[in-house]
Amino acid sequence: MKNYILMLLLTVMPFSGIFAQEEEVKDKPVRAPFASGYLIDNQTTMIPIKGTLEFAIQHKFGTIENGKSDFFGIYAPAANIRLALDYVFFKNFQAGIGLSKERMYTDLNAKWTILEQTRENTIPVAVALYGVVAIDGRNESAFGTGKTWHSGEGKTEFDFNFPDRLSYFSQLIIGRKFNHWLSLQTGVSFTHYNLVDPEFDHDKIGLHFNGRINFSPQSSFIFNYDAPLKIQQISEQLEVPPHHQSNVSFGVEIATSTHAFQIYMGNSKGIIPQDIMMWNSNKFSWENLAFGFTITRIWNF
Amino acid sequence: MKKGKIKFLTYPLVVLFSGILLAAFVSPTESTETLDNWDIPAKYKEMKNPHAGDKSLDRVGKMLYAKHCKSCHGNVGLGDGPKAASMTAHMIPFNDAKFQAQTDGEIYYQSIIGMDEMPNFEKKIPDEEDRWALINFVRSLK
Repeated sequence: MKNYILMLLLTVMPFSGIFAQEEEVKDKPVRAPFASGYLIDNQTTMIPIKGTLEFAIQHKFGTIENGKSDFFGIYAPAANIRLALDYVFFKNFQAGIGLSKERMYTDLNAKWTILEQTRENTIPVAVALYGVVAIDGRNESAFGTGKTWHSGEGKTEFDFNFPDRLSYFSQLIIGRKFNHWLSLQTGVSFTHYNLVDPEFDHDKIGLHFNGRINFSPQSSFIFNYDAPLKIQQISEQLEVPPHHQSNVSFGVEIATSTHAFQIYMGNSKGIIPQDIMMWNSNKFSWENLAFGFTITRIWNF
Repeated sequence: MKKGKIKFLTYPLVVLFSGILLAAFVSPTESTETLDNWDIPAKYKEMKNPHAGDKSLDRVGKMLYAKHCKSCHGNVGLGDGPKAASMTAHMIPFNDAKFQAQTDGEIYYQSIIGMDEMPNFEKKIPDEEDRWALINFVRSLK
């Protein structure tokens, strides 16, 4: 996998150089294609100015299926929450850390916006790379039977090691601000879990599509669609295993000088991207929708 | 005896309440506020607005105002936004003749560099053109 990332970087880097030279002809980047680096549970190509510290609170309630009895999921025990901090170290490069309740994930993430869309279309799209390494912090006993090897002579249990807790998500995001009210993004991602139960796959490729429609100076309609792909060629199983539900979410974003508030409904319980791509088993249907919100606060130093 | 006690309390209370009542009609100290406490460096005073009258920036200025300024300065710049009540500084309304009499450079310094409760917006509005778009919008609030 390291090689793939290296190859990707090597292929993209020379282009970024070429564009950087053209940029000197005073074609400035477009004004804020998105209000925040977060879009529901995805990332946008937008990175705030160097020296910005961002604090994010992401919360997903339980599904609305039980109606009034748990007030549409608000009282449900199945909530998930993530608290995260990230910092913009260089122009268009940020790195951060987050903690989520689900699987006690600790995630380390980085985002690099290689190209910014410009006003005169010298660069027609924004291109960003996003990577997340997550550590599953649960007790060893929660990891199931992934380390058991069944051979003809019986079964052998292997020791559980730290790397078994790790999972990776890498994503290429391409976005375009079409006009002052419409910004769209698409992306492709690769997810890898070091340890999964024997009936599952370790790898998953996914496609992403999301955007925002600005309807007032501060408010936008936002939506997001993540589709994990069923690809038999990369599956380790005779038939691609289940847990392949798309993540669909939609909501409203209100942005102020230092905050972005996003209130939405969606069908996945996970918050970090590898968890959504690999383990979302909630079909997109009315009763599987759950309320959620993402709030970000930025400070400039 | 009891009656006397009550009477003894009545007068101060009447005085107190009427005092409060009267105070309610007295307008708060007239805005001494002013632009005098701004110590604007000459560099800013002489700054020329390279985008003065640029109509193409109208929407940009309006958007930036809604995002960064409205919550304190109010919808049309009267200093009556939702956060205004919790501030110690008194905001001068943007339709005030004294405010509008300033140069664009002075408004630039007040808006972007700031002082005390008026925050600095250099990092939040990094683009020079956007800053002038905002100042053009503030100018339009007369």
